[in-house]
Amino acid sequence: MTGPLFDLAVVLIRIGVVFSFCMGLVMVFVWAERKGAAYIQDRRGPNRASILGWTAWGMFHPLADAIKFLFKEDFVPDNAHRAYYVIAPMFVIAPVILSVAVIPFGPDVSIFGRRVMLQIADLNMGFLYVLAVSGMTVYGIVLGGWASGSKYPLLGGLRSAAQMLSYEVSMGLSLVGIFMVFESVRLSHIVLEQGELLFGVIPKWGVFVQPIGFILFLTAQYAEANRTPFDLPEGDSELVGGYHTEYGSFKFSMFMMGEYLHMVVSSVIVATLFFGGWQFPYLHDTGFLFPGGFSVSLPEIVVLLMRCGSIFVKSLFFTWMYVWVRWTIPRFRYDQVMRLGWKVLLPLSLANVFVTGLVLLLLER
Amino acid sequence: MPNLTINGVAVSVPEGTTILSAAKQVGIHIPHYCYHTHLSVAGNCRMCQVEVEKFPKLQTACSTVATEGMVVRTDTEAVRKAVRGALEFLLIHHPIDCPICDQAGECGLQDYYMTVGLHKSRYPLGDKIHKKKVQDAGSGIVLDAERCILCSRCVRFLEEVTGTRELQFFRRGDHSEISFFPGRPIDNHYAGNLADICPVGALTSRDFRFRCRVWFLKSAESICTGCARGCNIEAHFHEGVLYRYKPRVNDAVNRAWMCDFGRMEYRKANEARLLAPFVRENGVEKEMPWGALMPQVAQRLSDAVRTHGADTVAVIASPQLSNEELFLVRHFASDLLGTMNLAFTRRAPEDGFSDDFLIHPDKNPNSAGARLLGIPGEEAFHAVAGRISRGEIRALVIFGNVLGAFSEKGTLELLSKAPFIVQVGTNEGVVSRAAHAVLPSASFVERGGTFVNCDGRLQRFRAGFAPRGKARNTIEILVDLGNRLGAGWSFSGEESVFRALSRSEAPFRGMTYGSIGSLGREVKR
Amino acid sequence: MTVGIKKAARPRKMSFPEGVYLVEIAKALWLTMSHLLRNIVRQEGIRTIEYPEVRREMPPRFRGLHRLMKREDGTPRCTACFCCPTACPAKCITIVAGESPDPRVEKFPVRFDIDMLRCVFCGLCVEACPLDAIRMDTGWFTPPDDSREKLVFTIEMLLEKRG
Repeated sequence: MTGPLFDLAVVLIRIGVVFSFCMGLVMVFVWAERKGAAYIQDRRGPNRASILGWTAWGMFHPLADAIKFLFKEDFVPDNAHRAYYVIAPMFVIAPVILSVAVIPFGPDVSIFGRRVMLQIADLNMGFLYVLAVSGMTVYGIVLGGWASGSKYPLLGGLRSAAQMLSYEVSMGLSLVGIFMVFESVRLSHIVLEQGELLFGVIPKWGVFVQPIGFILFLTAQYAEANRTPFDLPEGDSELVGGYHTEYGSFKFSMFMMGEYLHMVVSSVIVATLFFGGWQFPYLHDTGFLFPGGFSVSLPEIVVLLMRCGSIFVKSLFFTWMYVWVRWTIPRFRYDQVMRLGWKVLLPLSLANVFVTGLVLLLLER
Repeated sequence: MPNLTINGVAVSVPEGTTILSAAKQVGIHIPHYCYHTHLSVAGNCRMCQVEVEKFPKLQTACSTVATEGMVVRTDTEAVRKAVRGALEFLLIHHPIDCPICDQAGECGLQDYYMTVGLHKSRYPLGDKIHKKKVQDAGSGIVLDAERCILCSRCVRFLEEVTGTRELQFFRRGDHSEISFFPGRPIDNHYAGNLADICPVGALTSRDFRFRCRVWFLKSAESICTGCARGCNIEAHFHEGVLYRYKPRVNDAVNRAWMCDFGRMEYRKANEARLLAPFVRENGVEKEMPWGALMPQVAQRLSDAVRTHGADTVAVIASPQLSNEELFLVRHFASDLLGTMNLAFTRRAPEDGFSDDFLIHPDKNPNSAGARLLGIPGEEAFHAVAGRISRGEIRALVIFGNVLGAFSEKGTLELLSKAPFIVQVGTNEGVVSRAAHAVLPSASFVERGGTFVNCDGRLQRFRAGFAPRGKARNTIEILVDLGNRLGAGWSFSGEESVFRALSRSEAPFRGMTYGSIGSLGREVKR
Repeated sequence: MTVGIKKAARPRKMSFPEGVYLVEIAKALWLTMSHLLRNIVRQEGIRTIEYPEVRREMPPRFRGLHRLMKREDGTPRCTACFCCPTACPAKCITIVAGESPDPRVEKFPVRFDIDMLRCVFCGLCVEACPLDAIRMDTGWFTPPDDSREKLVFTIEMLLEKRG
């Protein structure tokens, strides 16, 4: 197999796998949300849609929804700004998909003697790219709210813009500690660093070296994703459907998909930054090496699968976490959201940067 | 003028007044079935028993004449016991089929059971004597002998008012019942009154049978439009449908009765109504909103006056219209159109059946009013008809559906000579089939006004409910059309028109709706 | 008149660990997770009724869809006395009375329509009926349908229903 063709094939396969992984997770996520909500609330949840009598625990409902959205009448309200109205949902979904590009899903592997990264692009600026790209989703939401030419969407759009911008600040700052500890913004590097051990016992995962940073980042992520308890942009009692009130059919489903994709991606990012990414505790290239000196050697392919499975499981957990939190914590009031963002998260993240710097300085001494 | 006290209330009544009427004067109601204000006293129902001081026994209030110093009590235990006993006897064989009885809701038995009865039946159900139900008694009257309490009101009515004596008592005791002789059912033109005077459901109207429950009905004081007698009536309606007429007591006109022809007049408010304005272009009817049609009609009329002269325009009024409407019609024709071709025409004379009691040969309620308002009748109409047939009339306004004695064919032939005909009418008919613009007007229960009857009595009828469909009050139509021709009228409602009318028309001078009252008054001649 | 002041209970101030929320959130998460796990393990513990297949046992006095009773010969027991439309607060009953061919019956309903979209299921028609001709013991509530006309129940439909 010739070089360039092989490289191209590898790139396309990587993109395809990662993209379908995320989209598949969205499908599962929607199902998990509905079924999980039902079980948490002592209900049965979706259990009617079936293919040849097989209901698959309600798994076909998201599929049926997707088909329904596809075949619904695609209309544009009279007052809407046609072009922006159509573009807005794309603006929500595109940045989220783009930000997956820098996530490492496993260590480099060698196929046919070539080293292949399990990552679409290993950028130097790594996480800065994620921040830059995912910050764009807010445009989609504001644009959608404004272009609908209706009052509720406009208010919902403005509300979510204010909320997302407020939390973007704390989100960025809460990660500074991580970058200081691992001395890089390159995600593959951060993941590799997390493979080491702290005091020779516990894995040097982000969550252990930056516990406050983790909580701050997770909170900010919920706010960024407009999820309960920060789901203010929608509000049946005040804003009807918020920024997507006037959207229907496939365009609405794009908004919804964007929201869910956002959650999937942010789960993967949390796993990558704070939970060692594809690292499996005490698992090295050749097998397990426990702190007591006890070791188990494993074949290379098993190690690889365990590592890829590791990030998959971690991501799944944090995706589930979104559902779990949604049906546990009631939503905040808008002033509470703003107070939390500016008066609690921001000072805390600044203090976290300061304390991290101080500790690092003292350690270096 | 004997003075007496009833339940402690002192009252002074004319000589010969009965206790029952005296009590009525001071607002004390004494229960009664057989007594009727306009019939002779029978005293057989025993419901009106009262206690009179120094009389050893209870007396029937309907037949005992009040005398000086009488002390009457209707509220003692003895009276209550006696009346309850009388009612229990009356109800012994009653079938209690109120669910299927048309009288339910206006039934004397129901009313008095609730006020003076409320007893438990002591009579075994199986022992009740059954009599013949649902008998066709003739003249639209259904006889149910089982419900009858033998008060004899019907017998006295047929004897004293119509003199025809069709109904009589038959058999004895428990088995006695009201019936007619074999093959000789009720046959007179006042039979409808039997259903009215029957205090129970024994005599009911075939026409009203099962049509509507009486408790749904609302009522409006009205005047019968069947003939020039102008019988005082109550119009009973429910949700925009007129159900029946009942006579209203007016001793100066109809006493307490009305004829069967007049009774059926109510149907005209329900059947074959013109409900939406339309135009007829080349023989095709096209519905049109009022807002678009009225300017068009006004334009056509004023064009005709301007291009061919006022002499080519004619207005044919109807004595079915009220004085207020006729007043506006006269102004409309003579002042606004400036034409002399104004006449009224009557319903065809072949209806002209009459008798010496209530039925009058003139089948129109307001011919006298039209004459008093200076609208010429027969001769003027024939002159106008002649001009139409010679093709001299370019625009014609017709109120109502009748053109004198012309047959249907004759009417159509005559009307084909006029190039533009406007009809203001309530019902479909031969004129609405020929008119080029049809303006539907409210029926007689949907509008108010006054009529002058054959004896020159001005009487008022009132609106019951809003005009059906898109029909409009005739006054409203005339004011709208008149104002488009420059009248500058600001009338709203019949009373404002009547005020103007009473100012300018001598026979009506000084009259107001207040002074007419509900019984009417004579106009000045 | 003196105005009294009543002390209303105020929510107590949160202690510091509660104010930080994290512990409370963890407790709450545990609560919801315990429900989830319990319901996954013991599906039969879920109270949801699988509606079209399984129906809730209706209490005996439940007021469901109306039905009209029949006489022994199969004709409607109703005599069109108009007591039910008189009592009806929603004005949903339309009756047109007619002369029955059976002289013992005399009056019967030619039309007896109940507009189920208007009905408020108050049961006053049942109470008003002097002949026990209308009952609401079918145990069914208004079924969904795709046109207004189909939800105006006619006399034939009402006579067919069973209690």
